[in-house]
Amino acid sequence: MRQGLRVKRGLPASIGPIALCCIALLASCERASEQGGPGEASWHEGSVPGTPPQIRLITPVPGAEWRLPAGDYANTRFSTLDQINVDNVRNLRVVTTFSTGIPRGHEGGPLIVGDTMYVVTPFPNHLIALDLAREGAPMKWQYSPRLDRHAVGVACCDVVNRGAAYADGKVIYNTLDAHTVAVDAHTGEEVWRTRVGDINIGETTTMAPLVVKDKVIVGNSGAEFGVRGWILALDLETGEEIWRAYNTGPDEDVLIGPDFRPFYEKDRRRDLGASTWAGEQWRLGGSTVWGWISYDPELDLIYYGTGNPGVWNPDVRPGDNKWSASLIARDPDTGMVRWAWQATPHDAWDYDEVMESILVDMEYGGRMRKLLIHPGRTGFVYVLDRETGELLSAEKFIPQTNWAQGYDLTSGRPVVNPRKRTSQGRIVTNICPSSTGGKEWNPSAFSPRTGLVYIPAHNTCMDYEATEVNYIAGTPYVGANVRMYQGPGGYHGELIAWDPVAARPVWSIREPHLPLYSGVLATAGDVVFYGTMDGWFRAVHARTGETLWQFRTASGIVGNPVTYLGPDGRQYVAVYSGVGGLMCSVAFPEISTDDPYAVLGVAGAMAGIKKLTRPGNVLYVFGL
Amino acid sequence: MSSVFSMTMAALAAATVLVVGCEQGGAERGTVAPAATAPVSEPPSRVAVGPIPGLGREGTEPSNPLEGDRQAARQGRMLYEAFNCSGCHGGRGGGGMGPSLRDELWVYGGSDAQIFDSIAVGRTNGMPAWGTILPRQEIWKIVTYIRSMRTPQEPDPPR
Repeated sequence: MRQGLRVKRGLPASIGPIALCCIALLASCERASEQGGPGEASWHEGSVPGTPPQIRLITPVPGAEWRLPAGDYANTRFSTLDQINVDNVRNLRVVTTFSTGIPRGHEGGPLIVGDTMYVVTPFPNHLIALDLAREGAPMKWQYSPRLDRHAVGVACCDVVNRGAAYADGKVIYNTLDAHTVAVDAHTGEEVWRTRVGDINIGETTTMAPLVVKDKVIVGNSGAEFGVRGWILALDLETGEEIWRAYNTGPDEDVLIGPDFRPFYEKDRRRDLGASTWAGEQWRLGGSTVWGWISYDPELDLIYYGTGNPGVWNPDVRPGDNKWSASLIARDPDTGMVRWAWQATPHDAWDYDEVMESILVDMEYGGRMRKLLIHPGRTGFVYVLDRETGELLSAEKFIPQTNWAQGYDLTSGRPVVNPRKRTSQGRIVTNICPSSTGGKEWNPSAFSPRTGLVYIPAHNTCMDYEATEVNYIAGTPYVGANVRMYQGPGGYHGELIAWDPVAARPVWSIREPHLPLYSGVLATAGDVVFYGTMDGWFRAVHARTGETLWQFRTASGIVGNPVTYLGPDGRQYVAVYSGVGGLMCSVAFPEISTDDPYAVLGVAGAMAGIKKLTRPGNVLYVFGL
Repeated sequence: MSSVFSMTMAALAAATVLVVGCEQGGAERGTVAPAATAPVSEPPSRVAVGPIPGLGREGTEPSNPLEGDRQAARQGRMLYEAFNCSGCHGGRGGGGMGPSLRDELWVYGGSDAQIFDSIAVGRTNGMPAWGTILPRQEIWKIVTYIRSMRTPQEPDPPR
């Protein structure tokens, strides 16, 4: 049986003996009603059994159902279900399958509400409802939005969709052509549909929206087209736009006001979103929101990261280019910024920071703190205080990261390696990580039982030459010749179990040829699930990294596994198998690997993929 | 850079200013073509992509006036970069958002005239209609560059 290479680095020092005396306040695992807010009855309130006292979850986590993109608001991707556990997961088998019929990247994951599973397909973004109460999970209905096909031509990174959210009897998701739709979860009828962006300037929407109270939070894609990034809120009931905030430009556009309290002194200036750019380049300033949004219901703040600052040639845009490549906290009702911190000022490498921000309270530096854990594109894991935006630590989870030595915690700024700065007319070689990063958009998971973050990581490096470029609306505004390749060390992907407090890895599993492009799922059964780019769906021991079970699905896995209770009260695990997305699109027949600059420079690094996997489009459900 | 390239860029600069001005607020359905300029390419062409029904009837298509011209291929490569073709179709045409131009798979036909048409009138899945901006001669240069890929005549081939 082919296995990834397991690298064990010893047990975490920060996790003491499991506190079995923790009182479990298990919510009932009964099937929840389909009305009301996201999964209240099937969420787990209070401590998860086995959680040490120095860890505290801040939102309920999923059990019977999976109603939100990440399962919960805090983005832990942790389930309380433990019917499947380290002792029996080796008996997992395929229970049912479903082919969407669209052989493009199947990012995101299904939702489970009551007896129904909801699947959003890649373009043309059908919403399919499957009946879990009947054998074989037959289709109940399909909703098909009528999309503008021109959107396909401005989708940088395959025609993917990162999933839906369920709230108030509606399944809500974004379509590639920059619309948000809400569909009646019972009938499949469209409830509302709102245009949020303009594909003619290269805007698309691929991210999974988040429903916070009565608002649907949505962000755009398109930094490779020089669009201006925004995040907005739509009314949950009507789809009407309530507020829209840009991530670049003057304070009145960014929604910065008297409540803005950035932690670092140099950030306490007016209109940094405009003044840190040359001229009006902020209008083409990227800083899009195509990744994950988290929400802290106690602080009442949403958290997200922004993309690259538009054009990849940094000389076109001198200045820090705020607020690209930043983490931002906003009031969900008004959109006003509470704090912002820029991970990569004046980005010269396309280091988008839209990755997941995991919210959890943990003992840190001797006291309980409200943490935000963000494994970054840059190869650093960032730990921030999510109340204040203070950077508590930035440590390399990819040791060969060389664009920066580290971060100065007094200023919150990286110490950049001047030899790895890119600029027009020079080829800078051997920059690690590549633009695709130490990790990409596919999200990590966190287990409160182990205190570890499970990071699907990459080992990719690149050569980067910034070039002259013309802005032509609706066409790519890149200005860089990039070629990527596998980094040193004999591996290309790595599932890293990372201790966020000690800031070091505990164990990892390496993939020799392919980066990891799937999301990760952690469960109370102490099982961590993830998939490889060549189609292996794997269950590993959350504490030791031992591979307990794996199954070769038909195509590479680039989606996020989820788990739930079926109508029979038994636990199932579901995942999409259908390779695609930016890096894996090299597997598509219409890509030629004799051009290493193809696919925004990815083609060289991924040239071997066509032998390792082919396009596919199957949903798998596993059970005992 | 050739003078033709510079003239094309000047015309495009004017077009770009109009387009950037239109993009605010996302309200207007902005187009690449400036409103006041007539299209510079022929109207949608009569080059067949599919087979001609009925026996004994051959389709005729215009031939590439710059076929085999290495200077044209080099200029085509510069246009390919300047008009951001590389962003969608890959730095050397290997593909990305748009399909590879290096391989033998042609969704809309791989003859010079059919490639000309795809560039000039655009295609449903998002290929822009460049005929609204680019003169015919410049499009033929890009066609010539594309047809040179994977041949010894390819300027600046991938290494």
